[in-house]
Amino acid sequence: MKRKNNKFNKRPQNPLNKLSLFQKSDSRFSKKCPLSGKEAPVIDYKNLKLLKRYISDTDKIMPSRITSVSQNKQRKLTSEIKKAKILGFI
Amino acid sequence: MNFYEHTLIAKQDLSSPELETIEKKYKDIITKTEGKVIKIEKWGLLNFAKKIKAYNKGFYIHYKFQAENKTLEEIKKNSIIDNSLLRHLTIKYKKLDTETEYFKEINEKKK
Repeated sequence: MKRKNNKFNKRPQNPLNKLSLFQKSDSRFSKKCPLSGKEAPVIDYKNLKLLKRYISDTDKIMPSRITSVSQNKQRKLTSEIKKAKILGFI
Repeated sequence: MNFYEHTLIAKQDLSSPELETIEKKYKDIITKTEGKVIKIEKWGLLNFAKKIKAYNKGFYIHYKFQAENKTLEEIKKNSIIDNSLLRHLTIKYKKLDTETEYFKEINEKKK
């Protein structure tokens, strides 16, 4: 039965079929980094609106596996959050 | 000559002429040691997230300037002794962004 199902999936499909609920979405688990790219926001210790998005309720820094920030930008985020903590913003 | 940003936190119970003398004092320190003041921003009274030395609020003053290493030592010496300050922070930049003011919106909402 499984082989028959595989053959059925390989057939050229109508693009409208992808809208169905039973289709597995590929983009759900591989997310892009929200802080890199051309129109990315500036990471700065004065930009409090952005920094507060990456902090938990108890003022801890969120891990990158949850927020899907790239490793280079995560390093910058932690240093800017710590600067904001010195000035008493967070 | 490098670009720097410096922020001060002054105590809550200071009067407005006292705040102006603090602002002038650190401006003079930068200009006396051959530095250039590019911009001064007053962020006003802001709430802290946690208490700092039993204070809940503080006045913020923000400098953007261009200077050598010796001015930084002078600023650090003076601000450690200063009783009217709570905290201070200097940060080095390759390029200074003088246009965007992040604390303008917060102060306008209060009014």
